[in-house]
Parts: sequence; C-alpha cells; structure tokens
Amino acid sequence: MKTNSLTRRSIGSILIVALTLMGVQAPAMADIVSTDQLVAEQRADAQRATVAGFLAREDVRAQLEARGVNAEDAMQRVDSLTDTELAELSQQIDTLPAGEGAIGLVIGILVIFMLLDIAGVTDIFPAI
Amino acid sequence: MQSRIFRVFAGIIAVLWLSGCVSTPQSREVIGEYKHPSPGSTALTSRVLLDSVPFFPQEAYQCGPAALATVLQAAQVSVTPDALVSQVYVPARQGSLQIEMLAAARRHDRIAHTLPPDLESVLAQVQAGKPVLVMQNLGLSWYPQWHYAVVVGYDLAQEELTLRSGLVRDYRVRLPVFERTWQRAGHWAVVLLAPGELPEDGREDAYVNSVNDFAQSAADTELASAYEAGLRRWPQSRLLGMALANLNYAQGDLKAARTLYLHVTQVAPDYAAAHNNLAQTLLDLGEYEAARTHARLAVGLGGSFSATYEKTLDAIEKRIGER
Repeated sequence: MKTNSLTRRSIGSILIVALTLMGVQAPAMADIVSTDQLVAEQRADAQRATVAGFLAREDVRAQLEARGVNAEDAMQRVDSLTDTELAELSQQIDTLPAGEGAIGLVIGILVIFMLLDIAGVTDIFPAI
Repeated sequence: MQSRIFRVFAGIIAVLWLSGCVSTPQSREVIGEYKHPSPGSTALTSRVLLDSVPFFPQEAYQCGPAALATVLQAAQVSVTPDALVSQVYVPARQGSLQIEMLAAARRHDRIAHTLPPDLESVLAQVQAGKPVLVMQNLGLSWYPQWHYAVVVGYDLAQEELTLRSGLVRDYRVRLPVFERTWQRAGHWAVVLLAPGELPEDGREDAYVNSVNDFAQSAADTELASAYEAGLRRWPQSRLLGMALANLNYAQGDLKAARTLYLHVTQVAPDYAAAHNNLAQTLLDLGEYEAARTHARLAVGLGGSFSATYEKTLDAIEKRIGER
C-alpha cells in the first residue's frame, strides 16, 4: 500500500516535471513564418496573377464588355475571391486551349461566366 | 436526296475535322515546333525510348498500383504493385485516387512533382530520362473511364507516344489521341524525384511546393538535400531560401538560419517574412539591436502575416527593456 502511494507520488512528480518542461519549451517555439504559410501565400499570389492576366487580355475584355460588364469591376472582384475559388479559376485558365479556335472561344466564355458567378455578378452556376 | 446525304456527310466530316484539329492544340504546337523550330528555342530530341523502365501487366482495374510501381522502380525504389494495392487501391471505386498516388510515392521517399499542364513538359521529362506517370480518361467526359499509365517514350516524326499501359508493354498512341484522353483527366502528369534531383520544368515555386508536401513524411537530411539542390539551381529564389532557413531554424542551427535569412533579405529586400524570421533568429542568438532593426522592417512592410511581425517586435522590445 505504502509502495503504491510512493509509486503514485513519484509518477505525479515526473508528470509535473515533464509538464513544466513542456511549458518551458512552448514559448521557445518562436514566431517565425512557416514554410507552409509561405508556400500557401505564394500559390495564392500566383493564381491571382493568372486571373488578373486573363482579365487584362484584349479578347477577354471585349467578351466582357460585349456582355455589359466593366472589366475594371471584374478585376477588382478578383481580390475578394477565396483561395479555393482562385485555385479553381486559375486552373481553368491554365488549361484553356492556346488557339483562338471555336472551342477555345466557348470555354473562354464559360470561364468568364464562372468568374462573374463567383464574383456575384451572375448566377448561372449555383454549384460553384 | 443525294445532295442532302452529301451535305450531312460533309457536315460530319467538318465536325470531325474541327474537333480533331482544334481540340489538341498542344500536339499541334509540339509537332509544329519539331517541323519548323522557332529560332532560339531549345528543341526536343526527335525520338526517345526509356526501354529499361519496368513493366507490370495490370490486373483488372488495378492500373494505379501497376503504374505507380513502374515509376517507383524506375526511381530505384524496389516495390511491387501488390505491395502498393493496400496503399492506393480503393475497392469501392475500383480504382486509385490521384492524391493517394502522390502520398504513396512520398511514403517511399520520393518527391511527387506535378508537372504543368503541357505536353512539352511531359516530353522534356522523358527526354531527361524520367518516365512520367499520367492519368487519362479513356471514355468520355460524361462517361469517364479513368486510367493510369506511364509515358516512357515519344517519336515526333511519327507523332507518337509510347506508354506502359494495361496489358501492353510498349503501347504506341498518336499524340493528339493521347492529348484528348489526357485533357479529359485534367492534364494530370507527375514525375518522381529522389531528394536532390530537380524537375525539368523550371518552375522553382512549384518545386518548393512539391518538396514542402514531401516534408510531412521526409527525414530532415533528405529535405535539406532537396532544398539545397534547388538553391544551387535557383540561388535567387526567396521561397527556397526561406524553406531551407526555416529547416535550419527548426533543427536548432541558428547560425546557418541567420546566414540564409540574411541572404534572402538581400535578394528580396521587401520580403517581410524574411526580415521577421531573421529578427526572431537574431533574438534567439542574443543580437537584440540587429533583431529590432529587422523586426521593424517587417512591421513596416506588413502583409499577410503582419500580426506575427508585431508579436516578434514586441518580444524583442520586451527583451531589450529587461536588460
């Protein structure tokens, strides 16, 4: 019985020491910006640039304006997209066919509408 | 009557011609570049075949484990498709998920690097001796039939790719046909890199991305050699510099971290995160005045992590006040 309480007490002290040590260790984990954070930031920046570059294209501007949308407005709304929306959109743009063929045109229009949808200008693709 | 049939027929031909020509711009570009190289561009070798890449004829639906074992063995990892089944095969879906394929590659100490969505990058990797794991949709977009295969060769004169695919060791497919099936699977292409090897696509940030995903399962030495290789190739990359410096910092090598953070602040003087991490390292090293200088720079520059920068500056001011 006696040994039992002794064991318990020593376990208790070990725990206290361990917890104290952990407590001491924690503040030493300093406030550096982690690689995870930096990679995520860089990715979002690159995607924003992709979308902005797309919106700056002459043909895209013409398409937007033909539909009564101000390209500057659309550009401003890119800033309010979430990271997930940005990723989705920039991937669509990245995989657009390079040529100016009929299919490229169709997909281009689709992407524009997706962008407007996300930005709240239209409501054609409620799933996005 | 006959003229109507003829018109319908002509219509079908026109549609086929349009879809054949318009929807595979990448093949057209690669083949066009081969036939009429534009000045100053680095041309691809006309024909490559990586014949030593192993082949595992797949059992039903198990193209995932077979294709993954193919690229892993080519990357000097001895593993069989059977050993990979439990890691990547999802019986309910009768297939493997892309994300599981990448995770399984990392579990075998290889960096899984996703290539940009262009055919030229795939061919450039093959030319550099690396087989490329690809996903295809052999069905239609509304009736998909997913398939994994490995690109092991190409022939620009014949306009063909060679794949390890299904039950065929050297499956030769026309470039535009491949492009269409690959396009329907989101242009998914992956190479496996041993720590220290670099991809051919020249995108340093994407490389850091891949290595950072690898970091969860990798040993520190492997991680360090991956970042060091990247820095030798791209010494001006601020992201690579930060990644390696953060690793040094986490390992407790504060002096190495300080040197590298300092280097990044010189390459990119307006990169707030580098000033912040340098300030923290200087604080840990007891160089308070220099720490304060860089912490103030970080706070002044601001950005996504400005709360962290202010915390760092506070900690430094507090320490200086205590002296």
